Amino acid sequence: MTAGAARKAWAFVWKDFLIEVSYKSAFILHLGGVIFSVGLWFFFSGFLQENLKESMDALTGGNLFAFILFGVAPYSYQQVSLTAFGHRFREEQVTGTLEAMLVCPTRTPLVIFGSALFDFLFTSFRVVLYVLVGIVFSRFTARPIVLHWEGAGAAILIFTLMVATSVGIGIMAAAFVMYFKKGEVLVTLISSASGLLGGVFFPTGALPDSIQPFSRLLPISYTTDGVRRALLTGEGIPALLPHIQVLFVFAAVLLPLGLFVFRAALRGARRDGTLVQY
Amino acid sequence: MPDAVTVEDLGKTFIKRRSLRDMLTRPWVPAERVTALDEVSFTVAPGEIFGLLGPNGAGKTTLLKVLACLVIQSRGRALVHGHDTRHAELRVKSSIGFVTSDERSFYWRLSGRENLHFFARLCNLQAGRVKDRCQDLLERLELTDKADHPFMNYSSGMKQRMAVARALLHDPPVLCMDEPTRSLDPVAAKHLRALIQGRLNRGEGKTILLATHNLAEAEELCSRIAILHRGRLRRLGTLAEARSWALARERYVLEVSGLNGAVAAEELDGGRVTVDRGAGDGLVTVRAELEPGGPALTRLIDGLRARGALIVSCSRHEASLQEIFDLTVGGPEGTA
Repeated sequence: MTAGAARKAWAFVWKDFLIEVSYKSAFILHLGGVIFSVGLWFFFSGFLQENLKESMDALTGGNLFAFILFGVAPYSYQQVSLTAFGHRFREEQVTGTLEAMLVCPTRTPLVIFGSALFDFLFTSFRVVLYVLVGIVFSRFTARPIVLHWEGAGAAILIFTLMVATSVGIGIMAAAFVMYFKKGEVLVTLISSASGLLGGVFFPTGALPDSIQPFSRLLPISYTTDGVRRALLTGEGIPALLPHIQVLFVFAAVLLPLGLFVFRAALRGARRDGTLVQY
Repeated sequence: MPDAVTVEDLGKTFIKRRSLRDMLTRPWVPAERVTALDEVSFTVAPGEIFGLLGPNGAGKTTLLKVLACLVIQSRGRALVHGHDTRHAELRVKSSIGFVTSDERSFYWRLSGRENLHFFARLCNLQAGRVKDRCQDLLERLELTDKADHPFMNYSSGMKQRMAVARALLHDPPVLCMDEPTRSLDPVAAKHLRALIQGRLNRGEGKTILLATHNLAEAEELCSRIAILHRGRLRRLGTLAEARSWALARERYVLEVSGLNGAVAAEELDGGRVTVDRGAGDGLVTVRAELEPGGPALTRLIDGLRARGALIVSCSRHEASLQEIFDLTVGGPEGTA
């Protein structure tokens, strides 16, 4: 990314930050939402802990609360990667600001990526809050969460590959929004499947045997398992190589495919004159 | 110096998307095609205010969108300051400022200044210049008083001036204005027209491409006009030339007193005359349509005087742009 593009990307972030803080109570509501969600997981994990004991991944130390916390964190990033591009593009279309941006001497892909950047940063902030609040909550239990920093490298690598994969799908969804004016179906499908089958809230081992193969088709399954093993038990890259390899294949296919579909949709929308229509 | 805008044989055909049901039940029926622009050619000289006129659906906005690289043409080419819209998108966008009448094209929760700062970055202004440039434009467009207020609180006139300010951020030589006074009251519209003509065109030498169906506005501002109708360029020229399109015959209105008898047809060289004897004040209004450049007016006056008439006044009627427009597009909204 050139310095000029970085400055433009920052302008998007700053603009969206100003809009966000213009809603005076938004921050308090977000903070309240995080604390409420973590509290909810904390409360229910206490109930479910015993029932899921057998299928819990031993590598997470049998702590369901930690399991959920480190499932939700990557899941949140997957969600934003899947939805931010299409959602922001649609929002700018509907509010009427898209045309004003597209007549500026800035490349259209940068406009789309820049528009979504704040969502990624805000999600980072939210995820950090989840983890911090979760660690504080866990201090009041018999099994406090302890992070293993030696696995941070593997976790970051796994995480990056998952984001690249999801961004590829998210860009495809944005391309659908741009060309067909609808793109939610693909995202909703993956999102719902990931939440249910991706080992976010409960171990995939708890699923019926006939369903378990489907979870292996989802990038989030490898991510949640890999991130937990890295951060909660300290496994490194060599131990998590199979996860990394699968995610690398997902990213290597889906990211270029997403970019290709996006370019085609952009060309088609400009040809059809529907770029700013919704 | 290249022309500010060159449009050569420009064509745009939209293919209407078919519904899924239609595609499944009648796959052999080709998709409907709509021609928005067809063989449109003209040039705009640097420093000119060029009016793009036409009824709704004439193709004005499509043409402006091609120039702003929002739509790719099907045929022909369009150049802005010598840069091709198809192959040099960023250079074209650097040379053009787009003024839309859509108030929703700003972030309403941000202030005018914050909006301008954001768009200034997209227009490649260096960080150090953004603040000064925005302040300068806010001052020039008389927006400083409310610069730090939320955009949602601005009046329509201020919103439109903000649109002009945004289009000027990167100081482009060409401004495309799509019905800039559409939502303004007469006072705000007059203010904006004065700004366009006085400061932007005469003061800064900007080339202005003005799409409008406000004919009085075009008449006041534009040195040349193009009339588009159903995607085709019907007329192109100066206002004086435009009047000559409308007036195959010259029109005169004479007020006379003491007229006895009718005016004979042979005195008019094939022209037409109507006589309105008025409300009994002794003044008679004579309206004549005569062959231009001939002796018909002299003959008419001689004929009137021979019948005892005293010529009180004689004026030549200039065709309004409305008449020219109606003649070109065939009646109101081009429906005739």
